[in-house]
Amino acid sequence: MALPLPSGLVPNEVGFLCEMESVTVVPRQRLDTIDLLSGQTPTLRPPYRANLPLWLALLLKKQRRANIVPPPWLHPDSLRGVIHHEVKVDPLAFSPPPPPPARADARGNAHHPTRPSAYDDVALSPPFLSSCTSDAPAGALPYHWFEVAEILLAHAADDIPSASEVRSLLRDLHEIRAAKMRKSTADLEQGVGGVLHLRGVGAMELAESRAFILGVVEGVRRLGASAEATRREEEEEGRARDEDEDDEDDDMFG
Amino acid sequence: MSYYDIDSILTDAEKVPCKFELDLPDLGYLDNNPSHALKAGTQLALPLWLAEMLALANTGTSEDSRAPVTLNLPEALSERVIGALKADPRSVPLRDRSAHFYGLGTHMLDLFEERELSAILRRTFVTRAADIALHARKAGDDGVGGSSEDFLRGLDEWERSLFRKAHEGTKSTKEWMDKVKKR
Repeated sequence: MALPLPSGLVPNEVGFLCEMESVTVVPRQRLDTIDLLSGQTPTLRPPYRANLPLWLALLLKKQRRANIVPPPWLHPDSLRGVIHHEVKVDPLAFSPPPPPPARADARGNAHHPTRPSAYDDVALSPPFLSSCTSDAPAGALPYHWFEVAEILLAHAADDIPSASEVRSLLRDLHEIRAAKMRKSTADLEQGVGGVLHLRGVGAMELAESRAFILGVVEGVRRLGASAEATRREEEEEGRARDEDEDDEDDDMFG
Repeated sequence: MSYYDIDSILTDAEKVPCKFELDLPDLGYLDNNPSHALKAGTQLALPLWLAEMLALANTGTSEDSRAPVTLNLPEALSERVIGALKADPRSVPLRDRSAHFYGLGTHMLDLFEERELSAILRRTFVTRAADIALHARKAGDDGVGGSSEDFLRGLDEWERSLFRKAHEGTKSTKEWMDKVKKR
């Protein structure tokens, strides 16, 4: 019998994983580097900003030893822009994810705009991408937008400009995107060939609706299974007939 | 579908209308008439697993051998219901038709060549799924109540499990959010 665990990550696990995201902090006290499994943290010297994993930043924040700099996309203007994009510009699709982290210099050579020294040799894919630091792009939601925003609002609300406005904008955004998620399954009406567009969807949103969407896809597959079988048979027959004709042609020339 | 899938077992127990093509001695009790043989042409509702076997069985080797019964579409998939589904998938309480509506539907699609039925069932499922997700999301806010109650009572087993999954997702996200705030 099947393992009773749900497929994919559940919201709790996503929330845990998102604490690996690095955020920018402004330290209030000196702190030497710490040897972590993921590498060394930068030395903290009070006026200078540094990037730390979210869980460590939260720890320091609670001990009042650092302030967290909220990522630019958590600014009310940026969130309003995203909502505008979701509602007015493209009411059918999700707003696009942030652009890949590359910037060209004057000679046209692309390079990583942020190279946190401790994470130098790490591939920049979503969990390790510095998408929540102070130099992340504004106006686009990174993969872990919902979790990071929730955590920062819960534990570092005093570091976020106009936190209550941000909170209500986030609620709106979450509702808008959840409605889109529900509607996206309607694409499947044409059979499994209809594709679900999930570009730009965040990790928590995926964890939230994964079981539902998989259920719909599975249902559509089972309803279409017999029609699909007939279609395949017809195709096979058609191919067999073609081959017969080919054989006859060969005979004629043979 | 797993061997132990209780829903697929229950789907097999759904009754479908059948017409007997042969006289069957000693089976009259099926038609509340124990002293006589079961006459050819009798209409009876048989469970799906039995009807399917009998309808596909071969009675002899001769040319004109027929299956002992012919199957008809069950009441749940009758013209009237399909017409209503074509008009508005949301308005039909599928559970009143059959608790395993889609399961029955897929079985029937395996036995009959019904392109249109297949398309209508798919449209029904997909359209209702969007509504189910909405109700599942709102269910936690003020309890299941109000206008949604009628709709939710009309869900068949597939749709109920879909509702459960969607609600589970929303609920565990909410739980995580509460946990973050408390820490």
